[in-house]
Amino acid sequence: MSLFRKLPGVIIAEFDSTASLLHAAEKMSKEGYKKYDCHSPFPIHGMDQAMKLKRSPMGYIIGTMGTIGMIGMLALTYWTNTYGYQMVISGKEYFSWQAFIPVIFAITILLSAFGAFFGMLALNKLPQLFNPIFGSDRFAKVTNDGFFVSVEADDPMYDEAKVKSFLESIGGKNVEVVKIK
Amino acid sequence: MSSNAKDLTNLEVQKELLFDGNPTFGSITEDVCKVVETKPGKLWYVLFGISSSLTVMLFSMIGYLFWEGTGIWGLNNPVGWGWAIVNFVFWVGIGHAGTLISAVLFLLRQRWRTSINRFAEAMTIFAVICALLFPTIHVGRVWLLYWVLPIPNQMEMWPNFRSPLLWDTFAVGTYFTCSLLFWYVGLIPDLATLRDRAKDKMSKLLYGFFSLGWRGGNRQWQHYELAYLVLAGISTPLVLSVHSIVSTDFATSLVPGWHTTIFPPYFVAGAIFSGFAMVMTLALIARKVYNLEHIFTPKVLERMSWVMLLTGSMVGYAYSMEFFIAWYSGNEYERFAFINRAFGPYAWAYWIMISCNVISPQLFWFKKLRTSIPVLFTLSIVVNIGMWFERFVIVMTLSRDYLPSSWDYFSPTIYDVGILVGSFGLFFTMFLLFLRFLPMVAMSEVKGALPEADPHYGGSH
Amino acid sequence: MKKENKVQKKKYFRSLEQLDGSKEYKEKAHREFPEGASEMNNDWSRRNFMGIMGASIALAGLAGCRRPKEKIVPYVKPPEDVIPGIAQQYATTMPFSTSSYGIVVESHEGRPTKIEGNKLHPSTLGSSNAMIQASMLGLYDPDRSKKVLRKGKEKTFEDFTSFWAEKFAAYKDSKGEGLAVLSESFASPTLARLKKQFEKIFPKARWATYEPVSDENIYDGLRSATGKDIQPIYDYSKADVILSLDSDFTLTESEDITANTGFAAGRTIEDEHSKMNRLYVVETAFSGTGGVADHRLVIKQHEIVRFVHAVAQNLEVWNVDQNLKLSPASAAWLDPLVQDLIDSKGKSLVVAGRRMPKEVHALVYTINEHLENIGRSVRYVERKDTEISSVGSLKDLTYNMKSGSVSTLLMLNTNPIYNAPADFKFNSALKKVENSIHVGLYNDETAKVCSWHIPTTHYLENWSDARSVDGTASVVQPLIAPLFDGKSAVEFLSLAATGEYKDGHNIVRETWGKLLSGSFESSWRKVLHDGLLKGSASKVVGIAGRKIPAELLNLRNNNGIEFVFVPSPSTFDGRFANNGWLQELPGAVTRIAWDNVAQVSKKTADSLGLKSEDLINITIDGREIQMPLWVVPGTANDTVILELGYGRKGIGRIADKAGFDVYPIRTSEAMSYAFGVTIVGTGRTFELANVQDHWSMEDRPIVREATKEDYKYNPEFAKEAVEHPPLESMWDEFKYDKGNQWGMAIDLTTCTGCSACTIACQSENNIPVIGKQEVRNGREMHWIRIDRYFSGDVENSASVEMVHQPVACQHCEMAPCEQVCPVAATVHSDDGLNTMVYNRCIGTRYCANNCPYKVRRFNFFNFTKETPEIVKMAMNPDVTVRSRGVMEKCTYCIQRISKARIEAKKEDRLIVDGDVVVACQQACPANAIAFGDILDKTSNVYQVKARNRAYDLLGELNIRPRTSFLAKIRNLNPNMPKASKSEIENT
Repeated sequence: MSLFRKLPGVIIAEFDSTASLLHAAEKMSKEGYKKYDCHSPFPIHGMDQAMKLKRSPMGYIIGTMGTIGMIGMLALTYWTNTYGYQMVISGKEYFSWQAFIPVIFAITILLSAFGAFFGMLALNKLPQLFNPIFGSDRFAKVTNDGFFVSVEADDPMYDEAKVKSFLESIGGKNVEVVKIK
Repeated sequence: MSSNAKDLTNLEVQKELLFDGNPTFGSITEDVCKVVETKPGKLWYVLFGISSSLTVMLFSMIGYLFWEGTGIWGLNNPVGWGWAIVNFVFWVGIGHAGTLISAVLFLLRQRWRTSINRFAEAMTIFAVICALLFPTIHVGRVWLLYWVLPIPNQMEMWPNFRSPLLWDTFAVGTYFTCSLLFWYVGLIPDLATLRDRAKDKMSKLLYGFFSLGWRGGNRQWQHYELAYLVLAGISTPLVLSVHSIVSTDFATSLVPGWHTTIFPPYFVAGAIFSGFAMVMTLALIARKVYNLEHIFTPKVLERMSWVMLLTGSMVGYAYSMEFFIAWYSGNEYERFAFINRAFGPYAWAYWIMISCNVISPQLFWFKKLRTSIPVLFTLSIVVNIGMWFERFVIVMTLSRDYLPSSWDYFSPTIYDVGILVGSFGLFFTMFLLFLRFLPMVAMSEVKGALPEADPHYGGSH
Repeated sequence: MKKENKVQKKKYFRSLEQLDGSKEYKEKAHREFPEGASEMNNDWSRRNFMGIMGASIALAGLAGCRRPKEKIVPYVKPPEDVIPGIAQQYATTMPFSTSSYGIVVESHEGRPTKIEGNKLHPSTLGSSNAMIQASMLGLYDPDRSKKVLRKGKEKTFEDFTSFWAEKFAAYKDSKGEGLAVLSESFASPTLARLKKQFEKIFPKARWATYEPVSDENIYDGLRSATGKDIQPIYDYSKADVILSLDSDFTLTESEDITANTGFAAGRTIEDEHSKMNRLYVVETAFSGTGGVADHRLVIKQHEIVRFVHAVAQNLEVWNVDQNLKLSPASAAWLDPLVQDLIDSKGKSLVVAGRRMPKEVHALVYTINEHLENIGRSVRYVERKDTEISSVGSLKDLTYNMKSGSVSTLLMLNTNPIYNAPADFKFNSALKKVENSIHVGLYNDETAKVCSWHIPTTHYLENWSDARSVDGTASVVQPLIAPLFDGKSAVEFLSLAATGEYKDGHNIVRETWGKLLSGSFESSWRKVLHDGLLKGSASKVVGIAGRKIPAELLNLRNNNGIEFVFVPSPSTFDGRFANNGWLQELPGAVTRIAWDNVAQVSKKTADSLGLKSEDLINITIDGREIQMPLWVVPGTANDTVILELGYGRKGIGRIADKAGFDVYPIRTSEAMSYAFGVTIVGTGRTFELANVQDHWSMEDRPIVREATKEDYKYNPEFAKEAVEHPPLESMWDEFKYDKGNQWGMAIDLTTCTGCSACTIACQSENNIPVIGKQEVRNGREMHWIRIDRYFSGDVENSASVEMVHQPVACQHCEMAPCEQVCPVAATVHSDDGLNTMVYNRCIGTRYCANNCPYKVRRFNFFNFTKETPEIVKMAMNPDVTVRSRGVMEKCTYCIQRISKARIEAKKEDRLIVDGDVVVACQQACPANAIAFGDILDKTSNVYQVKARNRAYDLLGELNIRPRTSFLAKIRNLNPNMPKASKSEIENT
């Protein structure tokens, strides 16, 4: 993941509603585009299926992290009390596991949270402070009330003319090619 | 709540419940962002002036505390914990409502939360910051505090994982981190909005940096939504676990009046109770200052008053159950501890607690009262006073334990008072800064909750 | 069992404020910020405390080694092998008025650091009391006078010697005309010799001896009864029945240590069948002795006098037919009491306190004689080399001073300006004296108005000698060269008597040349080594007692409020007023530190419309003082008890701010007690540092108590006092079954609450003095405290009983404090100690919260930061000085345990019982504390713990305390009236 994504360019087309964006997505995937994306101010239900996206691997990442947390903390409490530094405390057993549950639990949660957060960033290749798509002024609407489809230049089927006409054919307006100046 | 969860999934109801007027995606963006983009009114400056000067007082007093030692507080031999721990429990409690609203209600698909969740999460984080302040400064040798962490060291000493204080360290630490991540994840798309609307260089730069280059593409939304869902999922057990663990500071000790199994559930209920009261207070203030009546609708407030009525009654039940068990246990020390609470030297505090926490929320049975803004505002404050006194009463149980020869009376010094007041200053300072520079409503979520957000809206297909 | 329950179910009452729920108290309870509580200057008041011990930096150099020049002989090792780090012990003697205490002083590289009793000495028998322990701190008192002063201007000692040289010549010619001496009382061969010398050279000189608190009445009484100057020696261990007539013999009377030891010896019982002595106490104020009494009759002093005569009447040793007008309570006592005395003829003892008039002491002598106690429980020896205090002599002196016939007055360690009877107007008399020369430890009230002041030396830094009451002679040998270059009383008196200065060492050797037989050097060495001259005790004098003529009878009977002057258990007559340890030691009965109070009963307070902490005006024929009132249940009604020894002015940082001066209302007519006092509230209150506001035990089985009969009926009552489920753990407990396992047992039957243990612990473990404000804030630091509980009906003084309980860390095997510490700063050692690791502690105070005994002490401030070098010299190098923010508590004197372990290792043996003697145990004159290995079946502590009276305080919490208590037993006389019935009318 690099902070700045260098690309010859990207083509964007605007759509007027969630519904039309959804249809556009379906058509794009049917046409066989790979490096394209559908942008919206908020997540749209059914978009994943429309774009035929694979299931997100987040679950595995988080699960693994959580398990590491649990086992790690269990090991730490066990080792410190049994080998690291034996101490008689209130006449209790060296490894009083009941009393260690709270910390083990806490660390499990903590690592899962890290998994969720950093996993998401990694998968989304964030932070990525520069992306050619920001070259378009109209695209700023995407975080307000705009709906866009974007096709990136490294898509195998990338061909400015073809893509532009196709996007218009599926109802895209203000189709524009964003190039890095 | 779940009883009316069903009808709340009906879009029309939600719309009517969530928004007065007929907002569009654009109008929502406009309403929320203009708060941040336009200069705040006089009132904001006044409030900020007050709270920030209180914060200055707080830190100067803490400086003096570090210089002289904890003796500047009213602590004495039986009462080893004073207001510091009272305030700690109080603030942690406040935090809980935030997590409850943002996480639990999210999982319950209670969409009415969207108007207040950002708000509540911010409150959680600031409250937990205030909370963490107290266990930090209350120790005798603060410069050695890091010894509570399992850091390998030349002494080969490790912390004592049996100590509830250590459990606190881990639980509250985790709680703070998770809440922060959860809050920030939620902020990313809205920060992007501000980035795209930013006029001057500075905000372009900062919002740009913190929105991490969000593009709102569905390939991002896909992972984003899952991350958000999971964070909500793991925050939910925290709502229950954190305050339960805090309660073990008392419950696992052998001090009569502390050594009770009812503490965990009763602390959690109390936490949510006080938390909602605090959200209510803040929401009503923000609502007035920024006239966002159409976002914090009476309906939302009313639902919050339901929660307070419920948790308030649970707390009341816990109080009475404590007394019953003390009597039923037949343990003379236990019995004395509770009689002493109600009729001993701290009776005054006890009855303040009862009237604020048990009696006052019952007013919410009356629709007239729970829909009147002034009443809601007053009660939300009364409840928080009551909840502070609950913790005070619990900690002061120390003043009379087993051997009457050691009994004593705790009287706070101006440093106890000053640091408590100062912590409110710190809290409100952070909160006002949040209102000034960050979107106080989760725009992308509110938009997502609009009927138009649904691809099948308007019956296409 | 029922019976015991009844025993446990005494009606205990709470602190009075709460009892009558007075408005004042409610306010206090309801007000969030009691005034003063939140005053900004809390830290300033702490600074004041810092000031208390703060000394001039000039002293900093003194911390080095100051071994005396002369050859002194160590107790255990010859001095040549001084191994740094290994403490040495020297025997010496602490002179105290007409008595002396043989002590062994621990010295670290030439610094005396700890005082313990000398087993060989008849007045200490190896133990000590609070004052002896604390006199250590007096040595290092930075406020001691350091300069020779003439009219306030600094001079050298040489200036004085030259001044005296000419005076000496002049007075020698005039045979001492116009020369006078005012001395403290002493019992010292050397001082006595020098006095004789002085009188030989100045036959016309006057000599007066005065001490504000003395046994003058006792000696006078014995003289009038026997015609001889004799000294009574009591052996309480030989008495089965003891009658104390206003004698607090376990604390404030002379020879309290041996009294305690003997009394405890007759009271230490194996089981319900063992024999146990019985103590009757007739007193006015509530004393520690009254607390351990089996029967306590509380009446006014005047009635005690009549009561004694009544006893004598019943015993037919004093047959004057006269109606003594006894109150019903006293009358009810007579027959059973006298019967009990007669039944134990030869095995009883009657003692009267020093406040009783001489008639009473004469009677008491006759009574003892009649009861055939003389030669058994009490013997009389002739007094040698003693100078008895005499109010009369001071009266003559002042008279002569006023008349201008005294031109030069030498004052030896006396402070008449402060403590002379008010009616003598000593101050104005002194103005008439041309040369007033004061010799004393402090630049005190008297020194300030004298033309000359000579700083004298502390007994730990000078050569002298002393006799114990039984005449045993011992040498006072210095442990350290004079810190402030003072001159000892011996040196000064010899200068006065001979005209030239001689060194104390030689003066004393000169005296002892006559005392010692055989080769001087070897026997001298022996004396220094043992700390006393064996076989020097005076012979018992045989006297045929005479009947007391009736006209001696003094039966003033009066109404109104009676006032009684009592010495303070802390500062005595004021001589220890600048001693931080003693000032911070709470009174055994009042539990008040840093102040003296006017004690009255609840009834009296109510009738005066006053309550505790009210500031009152006390007027006795025209003379008025102000002091705070304090209600002490069990005080005689219509009496006010006034503690002497406080309210010093301008002598030191500690003394000056402590308490109120009572001497201004004490006249020669009423040195002890009298009628005719008016008490008026000022409407103001005075905040006192009271460490135990709560009086009641709340019906909790804390101090478990039973009468001898009930104990016989159910020997297991102490263990059965609490019903609890079987004590089982949910986990495999750690087994303490190897090596030494340390444990302690404290006998509550013999503990009199004398507090010697508290100060011994403070001295051994470097416990800081924190000042009045901090004590008020409830932060007292004592590792072993003496809890005091009252029982009975507060309205009825006669029914009130008092118990004491020393509480230190109980070293629970399953210590609740340990599991809650987040950094494992308090953990268990494998020899069963609950150890506190200071350097690991971060100060969360959670352990203190979770300690059911509340024995953990927290350093809220850096209490030792500003301790001056000079005071640091008193610190025990074997014990860490704790810093701010750290928890501390009793360690079972772990330093002494490791010392014993090292010794044992060196000798390649196991530690045997008695190797480890902890500080509190060592000091306890009642031997109420046993310590040792609880696995060793032969050890003392094992056997004590095995007694059926033994119980674990709060043992039902299953925390397995290592310290056990032995239940308190009271040996009641079945024929005595029940205390609670006998309400007192004031006649």
